[in-house]
Amino acid sequence: MSLYNNMRSRQDYAGGLQNVQDPDKAFAGMLRQDYNDYIANFRQYENQLLGMTDDTTLIDRSRENAEKQAEIAAGVQSRNLERYGGGGLSGAQLQEQQRSAQRGNQLSLAGTVNNARVQQREMNQALLQELIGVGQGVNARALEGLGTAAQGAVARRGAYKQAKANYSSQMTNMGASILAAFLI
Amino acid sequence: MSKPKSSDYKESEVDKVNAAVAMADKKYFRENYLPKQREFLERSFNQESGLMSMGEGRAQADTMQALTQNPNRRAVGAVDAQADLASAASAQQLQGTAQGLVGARSDQIAGIKSANQMASQTAAGLSQASKIATTDTLNKAKAKQTRNSALIGAATKLGVQAGRNYSQYRAAESVNTQEVDKPEAEQNLIPMTENAGLFKIVTGRGLG
Repeated sequence: MSLYNNMRSRQDYAGGLQNVQDPDKAFAGMLRQDYNDYIANFRQYENQLLGMTDDTTLIDRSRENAEKQAEIAAGVQSRNLERYGGGGLSGAQLQEQQRSAQRGNQLSLAGTVNNARVQQREMNQALLQELIGVGQGVNARALEGLGTAAQGAVARRGAYKQAKANYSSQMTNMGASILAAFLI
Repeated sequence: MSKPKSSDYKESEVDKVNAAVAMADKKYFRENYLPKQREFLERSFNQESGLMSMGEGRAQADTMQALTQNPNRRAVGAVDAQADLASAASAQQLQGTAQGLVGARSDQIAGIKSANQMASQTAAGLSQASKIATTDTLNKAKAKQTRNSALIGAATKLGVQAGRNYSQYRAAESVNTQEVDKPEAEQNLIPMTENAGLFKIVTGRGLG
């Protein structure tokens, strides 16, 4: 009790809120606006993500990176050779070192790109799986919405038919009763 | 039995507070949380490249720190040092890029899922609104039908009574025609207005 007394608000925030005149109308308007907001703000990103299932960013970037790394490694080697005065290597050894570097770079490029392809595929598959999950939610809610709409339409149609039948039956009954009363 | 008053069907205090608080919450959500939700998604798409660059940068730093910190004569003279460095750095770069991209995708998916959840709530709300509207339509139709039934019932009662009055008038007419032929002392005439108009007959004012 005493603890709550410290927390208890002395101000009536709820009392200061605007009264909702027609909650039904307000609800309909709010839902309409929600849908519009969703389309305006999120649909573009949803479409963008849907278009990423065949993405090749990782492969493209890894190819560029492998080439760049070969250049960097060449720069490192060249600077080290300068630092150590050629490292005591003969011309033939230097040539062999160059050839070895070229082979290594090509192998590295191929290996990196191949690994990137594998990883890219895994990522795209994972994305696809997530999107399928999202899509199933979209499908389920669409079916639910249409189901409710159809249910309402059937109920209204049924009620209309029932009302027509009742009216017709009541009118026939009235006609027959009045006619019978006149003929007694 | 008194006539129903509209005030008897007005919203209660709880209904009023419920609607007002819900409306205020929704407004607060729209003004404060919705922009954040959009910002989160926007960022996750716009910063994809940045995240990859960050991953690559760290991978580059780690690789170079590990493989070039001791540039001794043996390393300089080794035939495969340059190729090894390029190969290791490329492989590390790939891991960095992949980590950045996985992070970005993860954020993008989370953002879309969250937005979709909001859309689902809208759809659920629409379903509920549709149910409410159908119930309202059906209730209105039912009320109209009840009024019509009552009117038809009343018309039937009036019509049947009019028919009975008409039949009784005709029967009285027939009886009186026969009674007239009898001697006056024996006559037992039913009091009635002769040649009464149809309105008088059906309303029962032709007899008595």
